[in-house]
Amino acid sequence: MALPLPPGLTPPEIAFICEMELVTIIPRQRLEGLELLGGPLKPLNPPQRASIPLWLALLLKRQRRANIVPPPWLSPDSLSAILKYETEIDAFSPPPRLPPLPSGTSLVFSPPFLPGSTADATADALPYHWLELGSMLLEAAPEDFDDANEVRKLLRGLREARMAKLRQGVEVLDAGGGVKMNGVGGMEVGEARTFITGVVDGLRKIGKSREEARKERDRENGYSPSQDFDDDEMDMR
Amino acid sequence: MDIDDLLAEVSVDSISQETRDLQELTRSWVAERVAPEILPWPSDLMERVLDRIRRQIELVEDQTGNMDPKTNFKLIVIQTELERFKFLVRSFLRARLKKIDAHPLHILARHAASATDLLPLLSPAEHQYLTSHQALLTSHYASSFLSQFPASLQRMDDTTGGISMVDKPDEDAAVFVRVLRDVGEVAVEGTDKRLEMKRGDVWVVRWSTMRGWVASGDLELI
Amino acid sequence: MYGEIGNKLVQHAKRTQSLAHLPPYQTELVRAVTREVRDLDKDVGTILEPFAGSFDPSTEPAAACALLVNHLCMRRNKRCLLAYHRTRTDKLEEMCWGGIDVLERQQEQQANKTGISDDVGKIGADGAGSSLSPEEEEYVRQYSDLLAAYKGQWTDIDLTGSLEPPKDLFIDVRVLKDAGEIQTEYGAITLTKNSQFYVRQGDVELLIAQGYLQRLS
Repeated sequence: MALPLPPGLTPPEIAFICEMELVTIIPRQRLEGLELLGGPLKPLNPPQRASIPLWLALLLKRQRRANIVPPPWLSPDSLSAILKYETEIDAFSPPPRLPPLPSGTSLVFSPPFLPGSTADATADALPYHWLELGSMLLEAAPEDFDDANEVRKLLRGLREARMAKLRQGVEVLDAGGGVKMNGVGGMEVGEARTFITGVVDGLRKIGKSREEARKERDRENGYSPSQDFDDDEMDMR
Repeated sequence: MDIDDLLAEVSVDSISQETRDLQELTRSWVAERVAPEILPWPSDLMERVLDRIRRQIELVEDQTGNMDPKTNFKLIVIQTELERFKFLVRSFLRARLKKIDAHPLHILARHAASATDLLPLLSPAEHQYLTSHQALLTSHYASSFLSQFPASLQRMDDTTGGISMVDKPDEDAAVFVRVLRDVGEVAVEGTDKRLEMKRGDVWVVRWSTMRGWVASGDLELI
Repeated sequence: MYGEIGNKLVQHAKRTQSLAHLPPYQTELVRAVTREVRDLDKDVGTILEPFAGSFDPSTEPAAACALLVNHLCMRRNKRCLLAYHRTRTDKLEEMCWGGIDVLERQQEQQANKTGISDDVGKIGADGAGSSLSPEEEEYVRQYSDLLAAYKGQWTDIDLTGSLEPPKDLFIDVRVLKDAGEIQTEYGAITLTKNSQFYVRQGDVELLIAQGYLQRLS
């Protein structure tokens, strides 16, 4: 069997993606520059801070070659403010502001390749990998936090508040899908995926015959929603 | 062009090809793990990534045995990262193979249709695997029972009687997408739904509606 | 009733999916279903014979109905046989992907059953104890070759390697006894007593088990 896993990402896989996020470290030992597969790594010269991927920061931390600087949003003040929002408003708290779009058809970057967890990141929004990143940092570098226990408590509170929202959100799901979930986090998508897509797919199957009839009518009337792009791409049946 | 745009151009251009490739590779992997259909083989990307992996492995082989602690730690970093890349590519390849094994005839037909597209659906190695695997199975069914069937029933791809024997994946399965560039209003076929999709949005929508925009890079699967 | 044996095959297929091993091939059931299909086909011929090629379903509703029923039964039996065989080949492929030498294992099982350990060379000469049909044994042989050919194009990646994201690739170990030179995936390193290394877990698991190295947490 080529892949004995169902569609979707497992929690370790989501954590793996999160490990590509950039974080700020304070090196304790020098390290020469390296040509890594994911891009060049500049030399590390204590005490100059550097931005490196989380997987490498965790490796250095384990070897006591660096300390990690928790991002601004992973602090008791920021998390309390966000938790307050989460308990007062129905929607998820908004994600960090996006950088301007590159021009033309350049590659658009998205998490984990947006700088949301370095020392100069925003303090007032949870980035996509907030939960995984917060958990991994607390586990690997609790002494690099001013108040690890408080942060841990607040993360737990946020998780609960947001899980409740996901569960409630199920009520607005319908057969057309088309549910907006802005601000949702990576691990949250992973956990809710089967359940949410299951509900949507189930509703769709119930309404199938009505939909088929509607589709036929629309097509007879010359209406095709897939006209906006190259038909070659769409001709996959 | 305002300052923000200028800064954006400069900062994006200063991001190395390697990092861009990792973004694309990660995106391709996630997409393949969650989409109900197999997506076009990203041939240029894979060529670059595999080439880099090969060279990195050679570098490590040259350096291993060099007991200088400085070199040693650099090697540890490099090897740790190598395993990550190997995992990504491995999981990507096997996710595709799983779909190929599940709907071979359907995918073979799609691959043939993609011959005129920018990106063929399968890599040459995958196409080879598919056709060989199908040949093995067909010959196995024949020798096990099918050769003793009446001639009219011996085909594997018949669609008579209104029941297709060619399985295909559920193209209307719901997926999670993130909007990378404003897409505007999207209609979901067969329903009244009209969605306004803006950059940064996360939506749960059926795959068939999203397919084209994922191909064009305006949306990504998450 | 036509189709009952086909149902039995499907039940076997369902059971197989939830088992860790492959149960014995149901040769008799397969033959019976195939025989049924041929009988149904003969019936079709018998029904159509008097019409000598000019059969019009709209004027012969009874015959048309009988033909339809036969046809649907035959197709259903075909699906049952396909499902049965496919479920088993899926399982065999799974074993190949898992690095299991299926044929070798079959030989061992046979030897154990008959209690003759030096007859390991036989591959189901009398079929006793082998779970696989001869066709399935041939399939496994061929699929293993196919897999090896596909894997061979991705040696750098190690296609049948772990599907879990890498974690704790390296561990700290202390050398308890001189172990000389060991081969790691990328080359050789020398293990002398009391030295400490940060090494790949995969390379040293055996040595830890054998007591040459101690893992430091």
